[in-house]
Amino acid sequence: MSDVRPDEVSEILRKQLAGFEKEVDIYDVGTVLQIGDGVARVYGLTRAMMSELVEFPHGVFGMVLNLEEDNVGCILFGESSEISEGDTVRRTGRVASMPVGDGMLGRVVNPLGQPIDGRGPVATEKLAPIERKALGVIQRQPVKEPLQTGIKAVDGMIPIGRGQRELIIGDRQTGKTAIALDAIINQRYTHSEKAKKEGIKPVYCIYVAVGQKSSTVAQVVDKLQQEGAMDYTTVIAATATDPAPMQFIAPYSGAALGEFFRDSGRHALVVYDDLTKQAQAYRQVSLLLRRPPGREAYPGDIFYLHSRLLERASKLADELGGGSLTALPVIETQAGDVSAYIPTNVISITDGQIYLEPSMFNSGIRPAINVGISVSRVGGHAQIKAMKKVAGSLRIGLAQYRELEAFAKFGSDLDKSTLAQLKRGSHLVELLKQGQFVPMPVEKQVVALFAGTNGFVDEIPLEQVARYERELLEVMDLRHADLLAQISLTKDLSPEITNSLKGIITQFTESFRASVKA
Amino acid sequence: MKNLQVARRYAQALMEMADAAHTIEDTARDLSSVAAALKASRELRLLAGSPVVRPARKEAIFRELFGKRVGKGTMDFLAFVIARQREVHLEEIAEHFALLRDAKTGVVGVDVVAAVALTAQQEQELSRALGRATGKSVRVKLSVDPAIRGGLVVRVGDTVLDASVRRQLELLKARFIAGGPSTN
Repeated sequence: MSDVRPDEVSEILRKQLAGFEKEVDIYDVGTVLQIGDGVARVYGLTRAMMSELVEFPHGVFGMVLNLEEDNVGCILFGESSEISEGDTVRRTGRVASMPVGDGMLGRVVNPLGQPIDGRGPVATEKLAPIERKALGVIQRQPVKEPLQTGIKAVDGMIPIGRGQRELIIGDRQTGKTAIALDAIINQRYTHSEKAKKEGIKPVYCIYVAVGQKSSTVAQVVDKLQQEGAMDYTTVIAATATDPAPMQFIAPYSGAALGEFFRDSGRHALVVYDDLTKQAQAYRQVSLLLRRPPGREAYPGDIFYLHSRLLERASKLADELGGGSLTALPVIETQAGDVSAYIPTNVISITDGQIYLEPSMFNSGIRPAINVGISVSRVGGHAQIKAMKKVAGSLRIGLAQYRELEAFAKFGSDLDKSTLAQLKRGSHLVELLKQGQFVPMPVEKQVVALFAGTNGFVDEIPLEQVARYERELLEVMDLRHADLLAQISLTKDLSPEITNSLKGIITQFTESFRASVKA
Repeated sequence: MKNLQVARRYAQALMEMADAAHTIEDTARDLSSVAAALKASRELRLLAGSPVVRPARKEAIFRELFGKRVGKGTMDFLAFVIARQREVHLEEIAEHFALLRDAKTGVVGVDVVAAVALTAQQEQELSRALGRATGKSVRVKLSVDPAIRGGLVVRVGDTVLDASVRRQLELLKARFIAGGPSTN
């Protein structure tokens, strides 16, 4: 290999530098008056805008949140340990923004768009403002396409549509994140060729981790990678060690990235895990900025914090590309208290909630969804016809079962119809149980629920129901894949399909019961 | 934290009084000499900041020091500030008064940092150019800082015009790291 000659080096350098314009750099400055607790008071910055990004020494950025008569209050997005009183603060001239683009897929970034997965810089097309006013009424259309989570209980009874906001609410350790992750993993199907043929558009996912342990986020990323979901997912992480301002803006960064996909005519799903911690971070920031505290010491605009975030999830009108942004916010309750301040706020904002109960979780019903008080205000509009047909009686059946559950202890002392309802209900509950990380495609859900709501499962012993379902679906895969394909293509249960299904399931049930007796 | 609200209130009051009596320039000069004395003397600063010494005693000391050197209006003002126990803010009040005076007379203070000392002619040209640019009469405060490598850094109020070689090098470095023209 020949040595590089010095004049070659200067030639290349000269070419590189040739395009460099020498310009006078004009910027506005201020002086730090007081700094501490992640908040800085700056003197000067007379033309600073609200929510503008400002630069402190040592590469620390901050955001202007308080414009007062003689000083500007900024929150810091980094360590304040190297910044001292008297330091110069520079305006960047731009409102806090986040780089967005397809290059974000597969990456783990912080709320400012800086990569934290150690894989080098992210190649993005443009910057989008983190705070952005949601679209008006004219630009939207009603939600009409399903967002399949792959969880039978959800897709059957609390269906989510593209563009909807569905809250996942429950105590700690009840499976809230599990539902969100299953929903993300299930979107892998939407990126396949088969989905394209069925007219299903791909869904890009964004998982925003607010105030969680870094180890938990690492586990989530690992799991998503294993399931091949990272190809279409971005993780925005503001973990517990990140300063409160970072945790406060993290969901907005997620929304900004989601809006990028939505506005380009594509579909996106954003999971905010969780908004309780964002509210706490915002409370911290507000109190340090000396804003007056309200109920539970939250600032007066805590409702607006969540409402402006969730309003950005929408289904666009066809003239604007027909894209959508679906939001799955997560709220953690304390001791099941859904009438606390933050939970009631967010419940009133979202289009429904999935309520997870610890008692159900502990008695083995997982996902621990309390179907009675969970609701999806979009409902049937977000379901394919096939699902509507099988799941219609599901909710009623379960509701009746819940009412009669207390009588189950009387055993055979009840009348025939009550016994039948109890049997149907308990078997449906068993059928709706589902493992984690095994989201089920919608056509298989239809088959499983068809068997359940038409009474085929009633005579199977409860502990065998899981095996029954598994083997039934195996049989469908092996010998009747064309029927499954038909269901997913037509999205409906025509009379022929219904009859075929009935025949197949009857046959299978007989052979299964025979094998059980043996 | 500098208590700007106190300084502002007192300076504003003094300005109104001086304006009515047409003694703005004299008052400004007096105040700046008081501020300079405070800056230069550690004992005076300690005295001004001490809550232990009674106001009457402080006033007597200040009268003896400044009585003959400043105008009556200024001396009365100093006595008033001491009586209100705000003498610890005197330096800030003087600073703010100077700002108000500048605003009133249409003078703008400009800080210029150069890499090497400028010649008298360069200074004159600079003042003229700045005066044209700002549309006001300009009071240039010049300082030399070799760290900027070359060029000038001009600061007018909160706005900085950075035409230094150091800034150009920083931008160049950022551009190289980004691998192309910076877009962010």
